[in-house]
Amino acid sequence: MIKPILTVKNLTKRYGEHTVFENINLTVNEGDTIVIIGPSGTGKSTFLRCLNLLTKPNGGQIWLDDQEITAKDVDEDQVRQHIGMVFQNFLLFNHLTALENVKLGLIHVKHMSKEAAEAKAREELARVGLAEQADHYPGQLSGGQQQRVGIARALAMDPRIMLFDEPTSALDPELIGEVLEVMRKLSFEGMTMIVVTHEMGFAREVADRIVFMEKGQIVEEGTPDQLFYHPQHERTREFLWKITELYGKKEKEA
Amino acid sequence: MKKTLVALSVLLIMAGLLAGCGEQAPTSTLDKIKQAGKVVVGTSADYPPYEYVDETGNYTGFDIELMTEIAKRMGVSLEWVDMPFDSLIAAVQEGKIDMSISCFNYSEERDQQVDFSDPYYTSQDAFLVAEGFTGTITDPADIVQYKIGVQSGTVQDEWVTTELIETGLMPESKLSRYERVDQAALDLQAGRIDVLVADSVPAQALIKQFGGFKIVYEVQLYTGPINIVLPEGDKALRDEVNKIIKQLQDEGFIDQLAVKYFSE
Amino acid sequence: MDIGRFFQYIASGTAYTLGVTLIALPSGLILGMLFAFLAVYAGKIATRFFSIYSTIMRGIPPIVLLFILYFLMSGAINLTPFWAGSVSLGIISSAYQMEIFRGAILSVSADQMMAARAIGLSKIQAIRTVIFPQMIRIAIPGWSNEAAIVIKDSSLVYAIGVPEILRRAQLISASTQQPFLAYTTAAFIYFTLVFITNRLLNRAEQKLTIPSNP
Repeated sequence: MIKPILTVKNLTKRYGEHTVFENINLTVNEGDTIVIIGPSGTGKSTFLRCLNLLTKPNGGQIWLDDQEITAKDVDEDQVRQHIGMVFQNFLLFNHLTALENVKLGLIHVKHMSKEAAEAKAREELARVGLAEQADHYPGQLSGGQQQRVGIARALAMDPRIMLFDEPTSALDPELIGEVLEVMRKLSFEGMTMIVVTHEMGFAREVADRIVFMEKGQIVEEGTPDQLFYHPQHERTREFLWKITELYGKKEKEA
Repeated sequence: MKKTLVALSVLLIMAGLLAGCGEQAPTSTLDKIKQAGKVVVGTSADYPPYEYVDETGNYTGFDIELMTEIAKRMGVSLEWVDMPFDSLIAAVQEGKIDMSISCFNYSEERDQQVDFSDPYYTSQDAFLVAEGFTGTITDPADIVQYKIGVQSGTVQDEWVTTELIETGLMPESKLSRYERVDQAALDLQAGRIDVLVADSVPAQALIKQFGGFKIVYEVQLYTGPINIVLPEGDKALRDEVNKIIKQLQDEGFIDQLAVKYFSE
Repeated sequence: MDIGRFFQYIASGTAYTLGVTLIALPSGLILGMLFAFLAVYAGKIATRFFSIYSTIMRGIPPIVLLFILYFLMSGAINLTPFWAGSVSLGIISSAYQMEIFRGAILSVSADQMMAARAIGLSKIQAIRTVIFPQMIRIAIPGWSNEAAIVIKDSSLVYAIGVPEILRRAQLISASTQQPFLAYTTAAFIYFTLVFITNRLLNRAEQKLTIPSNP
């Protein structure tokens, strides 16, 4: 029986007069990899940050497993332990080594012993291929390495779901591959993930479902097959055409 | 705008608190002194030969020796607190020091904030100029044509301000006020002021130490008797101090001190 | 007076100068850092309040503030000029230090706080483990400057009767008519104190620098 890990109902976010998105509904089942695509500035990042309550939505509800995390007396810090987030700008803690970055949450949030935290942190770094770089500082790592540390840091908390906010947009082209590879592996291992990205290749190969968001609305949602080869809406078709052109693939769909 | 208003009101509140702090209920300072076994005396040790520091860095001078003897006769030890002259009155008022000796002349203005002992000596004013000074001064008001210097907070300062500036005889711009009298002497030497109006005894000391000065005129303006400054309204303390001063005068102690510090 | 005695008399004020500084600077540090964190993280009212505090304290010359605080304190509690002066200078410095730390906290990007919260750290934990260590490194140069200023401003307590370096130089100058010598001696001592302090803080800054590839 497929269980939804994340359920979003009628989520709305406004900044003053401006509505970022309105009445968004989304269900994410265990093991799903959801890729959200769409033009920049349409609220995709804001949406993601609402899911782990970094940003407060103005309306709607979110359930993580059986718990409504948008309810009034919810301990947000508690909730965030179970939702991992990877940022476009990596956001590693600059004053700590890669190992210490991964250990921080284990020690202060999961209250693990120093030894246990150290062991687990090394494990996670090895998982993303950075065992050798454990004692390096962010300033000594390439962008791709930094992002992989960011992924390890989030994974170490054993989250129920991982959120990726344009994880490769700030990377030099030759470094993108190593990060996507880690994400691909994760997806195949069964991690539940929501990824906001412009990487269409990744979307097509790895996503279980693709969500096309524009102007604060979900325009269309479906499997990669459905969206790429049989898009229902003209806008979807237009957008996909434009973006695959931009990324050098000149495939036009019938 | 709102920020400015809040800032101003905070300042006003602070000022109000400060004003409220001015009045102190007269408590018996004498009792406090006897209990503590010491008297805290303020002075401004930059005024030779009344009060200054000697080669070993100790306070010395006419006032210093006099007060040392007074404390001895009161049966208590003495603790000196030195500070700029124009801070002394406030310090007595606020109870930071028990009394002050620093070549104080009587003035009505000061009398409103503190009390005075009986005089222990009499001073007079001198107009000090550089040796090359060519003017003639036959009357105190003659100095209005020159650039004047005084030590700030002194009765000489008060005299110039009240008699020459407030009457319109001299513009304020021609007066320079100095924190210490030796600063004024330096400017006199440099020609930034022409006439330094000071107590005649320190003026003599300045001539001795700097050289190149002379006194062209001596008179008693607002000077005259010099007194110890005491907290307002403390009759017991005043009586005690006056008693000792009279003793010392009768014994010739003060005359001896004058000879030691004031004669050439 | 021979040179040795001369120098010794002025130099003996150093104990007072150091004493005043070692009370004023740390108290300014504790208050300034506390105020800075409150101003940034404790909500709009706190931010507004500390902004006003800072504007007032930094808008008035330290010597004027010193007199105000000194006489204000006299009314309430009876402190010696040394303690009253030192505490007053500490309060004055807290405003400047608050600005240094506040600027440093804000330089640590808000994203660092976001990343810290994202792994489940509470706000306080995030401040302690992520913001504070980065903020300190950023604050050192500015703080080094403030330390020098407090050492120099300690001379202001001459006006309320503390026998520190400057006042001693004034007294010696008055009795020996050697103002140039007196004041350059004082200047030399102050300079030495400031120089040593800056050197030590530079060393600390270097030790704390986070390694990176250029």
